[in-house]
Amino acid sequence: MIKMPNNPLARQSDEHPPVVQFAALDKLLNLGRANSLWPLTFGLACCAIEMMATGASRFDLDRFGAGVFRPAPKQSDVMIVAGTISKKMAPAIVTLYEQMPHPKWVIAMGNCAISGGPFVFEGQYGIVEGADKILPVDVYIPGCPPRPEALIEGLLQLEEKLTGHRRFPRVEPEVAS
Amino acid sequence: MKAADVQKSLAAVAGVQVGAVDYAARGFHVDVTLPSQEITAVVQVLDQEGFFIESITGVDWLGEQEALAKEAAKQAAAAKKAAEKAAAEAAEQAAGEAPGDAGAVAAPAAEPPPAPAPEESPEPEEDSFEVVYDFNHFRELCRVTIRVRVPRSLPELPSISDIYPGANWHEREAHDFFGLVFTGHPDLSPLLLPEDADFHPLRKDYKP
Amino acid sequence: MSVLAADPTYETFVLNMGPQHPATHGALRVKLVMDGEYIVEAEPVLGYIHRMHEKMGENRTYHQYLPNPSRLDYLSAMACTHGHVATVERAAGIAVPERAEYLRVITVELNRVSSHLLWLGAFVLDLGGFTPLLYAMDDREQILDLLERVTGSRLTYCYFRFGGLYNDVDDDFVDGARALVKRIRDKMPMYHNLITKNVILRQRLEGIGPISAEMCRKYGATGPVARGSGIPYDVRKHEPYSVYPEFDFDVPVYEQGDSMARYLVRMDEIEQSLRIVEQGLDKLPEGPVMAEKVPKIIKPPKGDYYCAVEAARGSFGIRLVSDGTNTPYRLKLRSPCFSNVSLFGEAARGLLLADAVALFGSLDLVIPDIDR
Repeated sequence: MIKMPNNPLARQSDEHPPVVQFAALDKLLNLGRANSLWPLTFGLACCAIEMMATGASRFDLDRFGAGVFRPAPKQSDVMIVAGTISKKMAPAIVTLYEQMPHPKWVIAMGNCAISGGPFVFEGQYGIVEGADKILPVDVYIPGCPPRPEALIEGLLQLEEKLTGHRRFPRVEPEVAS
Repeated sequence: MKAADVQKSLAAVAGVQVGAVDYAARGFHVDVTLPSQEITAVVQVLDQEGFFIESITGVDWLGEQEALAKEAAKQAAAAKKAAEKAAAEAAEQAAGEAPGDAGAVAAPAAEPPPAPAPEESPEPEEDSFEVVYDFNHFRELCRVTIRVRVPRSLPELPSISDIYPGANWHEREAHDFFGLVFTGHPDLSPLLLPEDADFHPLRKDYKP
Repeated sequence: MSVLAADPTYETFVLNMGPQHPATHGALRVKLVMDGEYIVEAEPVLGYIHRMHEKMGENRTYHQYLPNPSRLDYLSAMACTHGHVATVERAAGIAVPERAEYLRVITVELNRVSSHLLWLGAFVLDLGGFTPLLYAMDDREQILDLLERVTGSRLTYCYFRFGGLYNDVDDDFVDGARALVKRIRDKMPMYHNLITKNVILRQRLEGIGPISAEMCRKYGATGPVARGSGIPYDVRKHEPYSVYPEFDFDVPVYEQGDSMARYLVRMDEIEQSLRIVEQGLDKLPEGPVMAEKVPKIIKPPKGDYYCAVEAARGSFGIRLVSDGTNTPYRLKLRSPCFSNVSLFGEAARGLLLADAVALFGSLDLVIPDIDR
C-alpha cells in the first residue's frame, strides 16, 4: 500500500550537531524562537476547530506569540497535527513537514494524532495510528478534542523544551477534598 | 398522495415489484425491488416525477443463502419432528386401542417424512450484493427506496450517472466499498480510498 | 474535459488546491484546470480524512457507536447524534419522554447557531475580512459555555442516549439560554451592519456561483444550499420529527441561487433557531429525561430503517440494516456535505479562481462529513 517515507532529513539535526556552537547566542536565539512560534495553518478534523478557537477572541494565542498562523510551510516553525491522519493524507503531511525550514517542531494535538484515538479497531484500513509513526513529535496534547487551554499548555511545554525554563508558573489542578 | 402515484407509475415498468411500507416504523414510503437491467428505466420515471437523489449504497449479504438454507433445513427438521410427533401420537392413540403392539405400529408411521433430504443436495444459490438507491422529493413527503440484487461473482449493473449527475460520486463510493461495477460510469477510480487502493473494505469477507 | 477535447491547442494548466489549503477548511483537495484566471474544470478529490465510520458501524454495538456521529459533522454534532439515536429509536421502538425531546430540540438549535456563527467568521475570513471572525467566535464561545454545562464537552457532544438524554438541565441553563438568545438577537443588527451591508462583500457574493434549483435536485443538495436556490426543503418542516411540529418557525428561502442567497439563508436561520430555542424554553415540560424501559442491549428487529434530520448543512440521514443482533449489519451515513460538494465541479465552471473560493465558502463544507 502506501509507503511511508522514513524522514532522514527530520533526524539529521539531532545526529549531526553543528561543529561550532555559541552557547550564549544559541540561548538568545532559542528565546526568540520560543516567543514567536509560528504554527502552520493545517487543520485535519475536529481538533482544527479547537485550534481556531484558541487563536480567536477568547483564548487569544497572540498573548504567547504563537497566534501567527501561516498558510505556507516555509514560513512556519511548528506544525500542529490537529486531527486524524489518514493513509491517503500521510504522504502530504510528510511533504509539508519536509518543506518547513529548520529548526522545526511538531505538536500532536488530540487522541487521533497521538495514537489513532477512537478510530483504531481490529481490521482498520484507513488511518495512521499516531503522528509519531511518520513524524518526530515533540509535544503530545491529549483530548478528543483537547480544550484550547490544553493547546496553550502544549505550546508552553514546547517553549520550556526550547528555553529550559517555564514562562508561567505551572497551574496545579485543584484536588477535590 | 404522491406515494400512491409513484407506485402506480413505477409498477408500469416490467419486472418491478412495488410495495408500500409503514412510514412511521421504517422511515420510507415506497419499497421497489427490480432486476438490475431495469434500473435506468425506473430512475427515469423518478426523474420525470421530480425526485432528487439521496444516496446509493450497497449491502453485502455474504452468507445469506447459507443462512437461508440452514433456516430451511431447520424448518424442515422442525416439520419432520412435528410429523414424527404427530405420528407418535397417532401411534400412541393406536396403541391405546391395541396395547402390546405399539412399537410395531409406530415404526412404519414414521417412514413417510424423509422428504427434506433431496432439498439439501443442490448447491445453495450464490450470495448477492444488494444495491440500495434512496430517492426523496423536495415538495411532497415521499421517500422511495430501490433495491437491486447483483451476484457477488459478477457485481455489475448499469450506471445512472447520466440521468442524475449526483449519482456519479455515490456510485464511485459504492465501487470503493463493495467493488460494484457500474457499467457506463465515466470514471470508477477510488473516491474515498487512496488512489492505488485495490481492496473493498465493506465487503464482509474483507481482511486487511 | 469537453473544451479540451474539442480543441487540442487550447492552452490550460492544472492548479492543485489543497489538501492543505486555508480556503478548503480542512483536508480537501481540488484539482483545477485553469485558463488563466478562469476555471475550466474543477474536480474535488476526496478521502484525505476518510475515517471508516461506516465500517466502525458494523464493528461496534449501538451503544459503542454513540460517540461516532458527533465526529462526522463536528460543527453540528448535536444534529448528527440526534439522527443516530432517532434511527435506532425508530428501529427498536423506543419512546422518548417529552422533556427529553424538547431539550434535544433546544440543544440542537443552539448548536446550529454556533455552527452558523463559526461558518460566518470563517467565510468572511476566506473573503479577506478578519474582524468578523473575532466577533463571531466570541458569541460562539458563549453558546459553547452553555452547552458545556450540560453535556460536558465543547465540540463533539455525546449528550443524547437511546430513549432520552445523558442528564437533565438546571435552572441556570434555562436562564443562561434566555440571556444568550437576547444577546445574539441584539448582536444580529451589528452583524448585518458590519458584514451584510458591506459593499465589498456584496460585490464578492452577488451573482457569484449560481446554483439552480434543478442542479440541487440532480445532485441531491439540501440545506441552505437548496434553500438559497428557491427550494423550501427543510426536514424539520417537510418530514417533522421529534417535537418540531410544536414550534412556530419559518424556513428562509431565497430565489437567487448565488453565494449571497446562501449567506442570507444562514443569517436568517440564526434568527429562526433563536425563536425555536425561546419557544422551547417557554414550553419546556417537567418530567423525566430518560425513558424508563430502555433495554440494556438493543436488538432491533430484522429489516432496514431510515431516518433523516436537518443538520446545519442539510439533510443528514442514516440507513440502518439490522440483522437482529446488537450490532448493525450495515450503517449507511447520508451526509449533506457529500452531496453539496458534488455539484462544485459544475458550479465552478467558468468562475474566477477568487470567486470559486467564495462559492466554496458559501457551500459551508465540513470535510470529515464528506469523507466519513
